[in-house]
This record gives sequence, C-alpha cells and structure tokens, in this order.
Amino acid sequence: MITKIVSKNFDIKDSFKIDVALKNGAYSSLDTLFSKKPQELIDTITQSGLRGKGGGGALAGGKWQLASDHKGIKYLVVNADESEPGTFKDRRILSLDPHLLIEGIIATCYAIASHSSYIYVRGEYEEFSDVLQFAIDEAYDRKYLGVDARYRVDIVVHRGAGAYICGEKSALLESLEGNRGHPRLKPHTPSPEFYFSEPTLVNNVETIASVPFIVKNGAESYREYGTEKSPGTLLFAVSGNVNSPGVYEVPFGTGMLEYIEKLGGGVKNGKKLKAVIPGGASTPILPANLIKDVKLDYENLRDIGSALGTGGMIVLDEDASIVKALKNLLRFYHHESCGQCTPCREGTAWSDKILDKFIAKDASRQDLEVLRSVSNSMNGKTICVFAPAASGVIDGFLKHFESEFLECIK
Amino acid sequence: MKLLVNNTSIECAEGDLLIEVLLSNGVNVPHFCYHEDLGCDGNCRMCMVEIKGSKRPQIACDTFVKEGMEVSTISDNISEVKRSILELELLNHPVDCAICDQAGECKLQDYYMDYGLYDSKLSTPKTKKGKHIDLGSSVMLDQERCVLCTRCVRFTSDITKTGELGVIGRGDGARIAVAPNRELSNDYAMNVVELCPVGALTSKDFRFKQRVWFLDSTKSICHGCSRGCNIDIDYNQTKYTAEKVHRFRARRNNKINQSFLCDYGRLSYKELNDTFTLEVSNIEDFKKILNDEKKIALVSPSFSCEQLQGVYDFCKDKKISLFSLKYYDDNFGDEWLKTNDMSSNFASIQNLDISTNKEDFLASIADSNIVINFDHKYLKTKYLQDKRVIQFTSSSCEKNYELVYAIANFAHDSGSIINCDGLRQEFYSTKFTDKNPRLLELLEEFR
Repeated sequence: MITKIVSKNFDIKDSFKIDVALKNGAYSSLDTLFSKKPQELIDTITQSGLRGKGGGGALAGGKWQLASDHKGIKYLVVNADESEPGTFKDRRILSLDPHLLIEGIIATCYAIASHSSYIYVRGEYEEFSDVLQFAIDEAYDRKYLGVDARYRVDIVVHRGAGAYICGEKSALLESLEGNRGHPRLKPHTPSPEFYFSEPTLVNNVETIASVPFIVKNGAESYREYGTEKSPGTLLFAVSGNVNSPGVYEVPFGTGMLEYIEKLGGGVKNGKKLKAVIPGGASTPILPANLIKDVKLDYENLRDIGSALGTGGMIVLDEDASIVKALKNLLRFYHHESCGQCTPCREGTAWSDKILDKFIAKDASRQDLEVLRSVSNSMNGKTICVFAPAASGVIDGFLKHFESEFLECIK
Repeated sequence: MKLLVNNTSIECAEGDLLIEVLLSNGVNVPHFCYHEDLGCDGNCRMCMVEIKGSKRPQIACDTFVKEGMEVSTISDNISEVKRSILELELLNHPVDCAICDQAGECKLQDYYMDYGLYDSKLSTPKTKKGKHIDLGSSVMLDQERCVLCTRCVRFTSDITKTGELGVIGRGDGARIAVAPNRELSNDYAMNVVELCPVGALTSKDFRFKQRVWFLDSTKSICHGCSRGCNIDIDYNQTKYTAEKVHRFRARRNNKINQSFLCDYGRLSYKELNDTFTLEVSNIEDFKKILNDEKKIALVSPSFSCEQLQGVYDFCKDKKISLFSLKYYDDNFGDEWLKTNDMSSNFASIQNLDISTNKEDFLASIADSNIVINFDHKYLKTKYLQDKRVIQFTSSSCEKNYELVYAIANFAHDSGSIINCDGLRQEFYSTKFTDKNPRLLELLEEFR
C-alpha cells in the first residue's frame, strides 16, 4: 500500500547530509535532465499529469509552460508555508530529504530557464529551515548549486512571519517582496505569477520533490501509480483520534477508510468513526456514513461534496463534539483572515463569535440562520479562496451535523 | 461597441474599465475602495455586478468591458449581494452619525439608504478599536468608523510616496495606523480626509464646525498659487453670525489637480473670512486726489482677468503708470501641484503688458506723491514713507492709509484666471449677501 516515491529516503538516518543522500540516489536524475531540452522536460511533466500538491491540484505542466513562455528574468518560488491545519507533509521533505527538493528545484529551474529560486518556509518551521539551509550549503560546496554548477541555480531560503494566508501564492509573493501578505486580484487571462514584476512559477514543496522521479523514470512510470486523472502519489497524512497519526505516501485512488485503518492504525480506543475532514481544515467535513467507498483522489472527493486539499485527514471519533470542532476551526479562520476584503474580514470574526454562543449553549434559532447567512456572504465574493473555504467548512458542518447545533439552542 | 447594462445599451470602447463606464453613464455603483485617481484595489467588494455567463458576481472595478457583455446592477440577486456586503461593512461600525462630521456626505449612510434598510443581526459585542487618534497634519482617525478601503494608505504610498500610513493587525483587528514613530506629515496630507468615504478620517480644522447639509457650495479656483487647482467653496450663514467660508474641497479636473489639493491651498480659505473692518472712505475724496497729484498704481497679480482689464483701462484713462510685482516664494513649489509663482493670474499681467520691472517701479514710486494699491499683498512700508496711499483691499488692513476702499474677494466675485500652463478657468461668486462692492463697480463710480 505504501508507495515510496517522494518518501523513499525518509527512513534513512542522516539522509539530509549530502554524503548519505548521494549514496541513496540524490542528484542521480541530473544526467538525464541535462540530456534533454527544457521544452522536452515541460512536455514530460505535462504528460505525467503531475498535479500541484499544495491543495489546489492544478496541473503542474500548464503552470510551467506559462512561466516558460515568458522571456527574460524568471523566478521559481517553492511554497513551503505549510500552514493548513492537519497538514504536516512538507516538513518531512524539508527535514528528512532536503536534497530531493534541491534536485527538483534544479530540474524545474532548468525547464523554465530560471536561475534564481526562493523557498518560502513557514515562520514556525525554524528547525526544518535550518536543516534545509544546511543541505543547501552542502549542495553549494559540492557544486550542485551556484556559479560552478552544471546549470547555475541559486536558492534563497526565506522564512515567513507566521501568517496562514502567505501560503496563498500571490500573498506569498507580496510577503516575499516585503509587503503585507495580502492576496492579489486574480489575472483576467491565464498568466504566471509575478515577483517584482518578473514572471514567476510558484509550486509546492512536494510537487517539486516529485519532479526528479519523473525526470529519471519518465512520465509513464509516474502514471503507473494513481488514477487516470490523479496520477502518482501523495504524502497523505492522518491525525486526530487515530492510533498512529503520521505521514504515509500512497497512490491516489487508495480507499480512505483502508488508509485510516491500516496506516492510521484505526480509531483510537476502539471507538466508532464519526467524521473525517479529508484534506486539511479547509475542506468540508464528511460524516462516517458517506466515506465508506471513498477513494483518495481529487475527483472522488469533489463528487461527494468535499475536496482532497492537501491530503491531511483529521479523524473525529464518536465522542468528539462537532460544535467544539467547528469553533476550533472558526477561531483559526478568525485569527488568520488577512483583513483585506470585507466579507472575510468581518465574516470570519462574526461566525467565530456566533459559535461562542453555541459553545455556551446560549444560542437561539436565529443565530443558526445568521451563521448560515454569514457563510453565504463569505462565499464567492472575495479576492482569494480563504473566505469561501471558511464558508464551505461552516456549510459542511451544518449540513451533516445540524442536530448537534440544535441541541445548543436554549 | 455597445454594452448592455440593465437592458439599456451604453456606448463604450472595448477594454474600458466597467466601473468607469457605469459611473460616467449615471448608473449607480456603490464603491468604497475604487477611486478614479487612485485606481482599483478590489478590497471593499461593494461594486459587484452580475455579468451574464459568469458563475459568480464580479467587481466592476476590476472588470474590463468586452464585446457582447451583459451587465446587471439591479437584479434581485445582485441587490442581495450588495446588501450582505454592506451589512458586513457596517457590522462593527459604531453608528455614531449624530456626532460624526461625515454625516450627510457619508457613503455608508448613502448606501444604507439605497441597499440596506435592515436591522442589525449582531447579537455579540462589537469589535473595539482606537478612537480620536491624532495622526498629525490636522487629521484625526477613528478606527471604528473605518471600512479599510485603504484609499488613505494608497494616497500616501502611490501619490505622495511618503508612506506614512499603513494597515496593521489582521482580520477584524485590521486597522489604519501611522508607521511607528512617525506622523502623517506632508504637504498634501489633508487630502486623505476628503478621500475617506466615511467618517474615519476627519479634519481638525473642520470637525465639529458645521453640519454639511447646512453648507452651500460654489465652483471656484484656488488662488494660492499659479496652478489653478479646481475647488468647491463650502460656505454658509447661520443665525446671528457673519457669512463664512468653512472649507475648500478639491473639485476633480484631470488636466490639473485630479482630485487633490495641497494643504496650503486647502487652508487658504481662511483669508476669505478675514473680513474688512475699517471704515471705508468716501468716493468723492478719491476723485479729488485723482485730479492733481503725481501718482502710480500697483495691482495684484492674483486679480481676475476682468479685474485686471478694468484696472488697466482705468489707469490708461487717468494716465496713471501701472505696475505689478509677482508673488514669489522659492521654497514653496514642488514637482507636483505647488508652484513657486504664488500669484494666481500672472499670465494675464504679461498678456496686458503691465510692467513688472522692480527697478522701474521703485524709481517711479520715488517720483510720486500718491500710490494707489489695488490689493497687492506685499507693498512694503519702507517705500511708502511720506506717500499718500490709496488702498483697495479685499482683506482686513491694519495700516491707517489715507483712503481705504473695500472690494469683494474672489469668493464674492466671479471671473476667470489663467494658470501657469495657460489654461483659462472660470470661477463663480458665492451667494453671500453682505459682500463688499466688486472692484469693477467701484472703478465705474470713480470715472
């Protein structure tokens, strides 16, 4: 069941050190890489069907092509701002196999003809960032990076200041430029991102870390894993009321319950499963009865009214309070809303305050209606998808567990 | 091309900004953050419209017109969207209109009447933020009234490039503030008060002075320097007090000042209230002197074209040599609106070929007994020793000149002036009733 593509070196001691990494195949894709033309690489990535693994699931090849089509200075920015609650996969790559990421960065930069790359690391990830920097320094010493490398690539590690919204790619770039982390307005036509007005490719850590495998083995061998539309693997993670929370790499299309049972060790203390938040906090909750046959891929989860997101599953057992769980999430959205546009700034705070009344069992029937209308006001009216995600979370909880909210009405 | 708005066809060009097309065609589009001279920011979400074929409502300030586009601003669906966003804008607002200076010209009030008219559903305490914060430059901030449209922030970052203001805090704790250890201080700072669509930023100079619905307004031109910025003069008369000008507001003219004014010009309204208090001399006395003495005249370079022509003709007729001296300050001008030439109509002085040579003026004044000063502000006393001075003045004058005649200032008169770029612009007289006589009327009587 476990399929190790990105996580192949995770269990090897000291794999962040370059000598250990080299013994275990690090940088072995470079010969194949430099034997190909950049456009061939982009085509390979497109054929492999590699999808962005930060939550959105957009096809990586399309983004690469957009960045590649622009001439002149270009940047690659690696999004390591992993802040989605329930998601802790990228930190494994940063700390356990940073050379895989560096190898992926070299390949991606070569493909889009960029020489400069930034890794935007979540502020709280100080220790992982230190490991990453250590690995980058060693890669410079061994001439995999820098002026003396076969293809010049420079990598700068930038640590964020601890804002969830800086994981949104345009807010990330604003933050990287030294501004407040506010998402930008969406472009009207397909276009790359822009960092200091230069075309820029932003990809998640795991996406980039998947590139060396595809370069080395070809698009078809990547497609051997996963499903037709969601090829490959993902570092799925499970947390909450399970016996063995952790990160386990499996192909897309694996059964969700099977994953929770076999890899997550089943629900803690033999309790019954109540619900699963399937892909990080921002994906709508699914009650146990809906997930019996659910497969872990983008299409399957979308069809049952949720999303795969980052693949970080949060498991709730029969004793978990749904109202408290929603309060926990809404407090998060209240705290992390950047405050730029109105529906999100006011809506996240308002819904959080309304939940306080439910927690205190002091709510009225009207509060439930207001919660629904606030959720509606936040959906589809904002600059970025933060508020619509919060809205989806509220709607999911109210749709599947309304009775628990009604119990809190005085 | 044609754009279909609420089933009415509007003529526009492909690629035009939708909100500009709508506003210029008189279609109501509520908006806070969009400003024609600051551009689009997209944060307030009030200008949402329904576009046929789009899944979600779109903001008009970031939508460009395309062939075949059909837009609705009044459907039930979009009205509900606007109502729900306005509800969120107003959610934590203190609703203290009774003591707010913006009342009467507040966008929150206007839009509530247009799109709101609901009762607040808030059942939890409102978010508290800072009140009456002195930002410097006579600007006061009330963070609770703010809708975070960031017009003020964008003005200081994009227009003046001084960057004093910013947003701090996140979510519902986000608020406008000055950067640490700084204050809002630049020559254009008070524009943020006018840019603010709500009562968050108020002017110390104007606040608590007048309710705006008691003010009359007249189109005018600032006389502070040669730029000729377009203004509205706001004035009124309340019971038992004198008529009074209360403020200048920038009037949009994209050829000159866009929607902005410098603080010096904005506060120069005070001179208009500097009313004449001396007893005005008899007209016959002037006529007597005029007949038999050696005299020269000095005229203000800020007179209107019509006034200058009148003075010019008068002096020619009476054979009085006429001079004018430029109001000039080397330290006043900047690279934007302010000019070193602080006379508002010097171009007309040159057009009429009135002598501006200082040496000639000093020689002539030494040779004369009588100096007629047509409201020139800086006629120095040292030149006037043992001279008989006839003063025409539009503001109070302390000197005990031999003859003093009060004349209407530019708020009380109408006319035109030519700015530093050669643009001739009209200004109009306020509806004041007890104003001083207009200069041209006086000159007519002196003939």
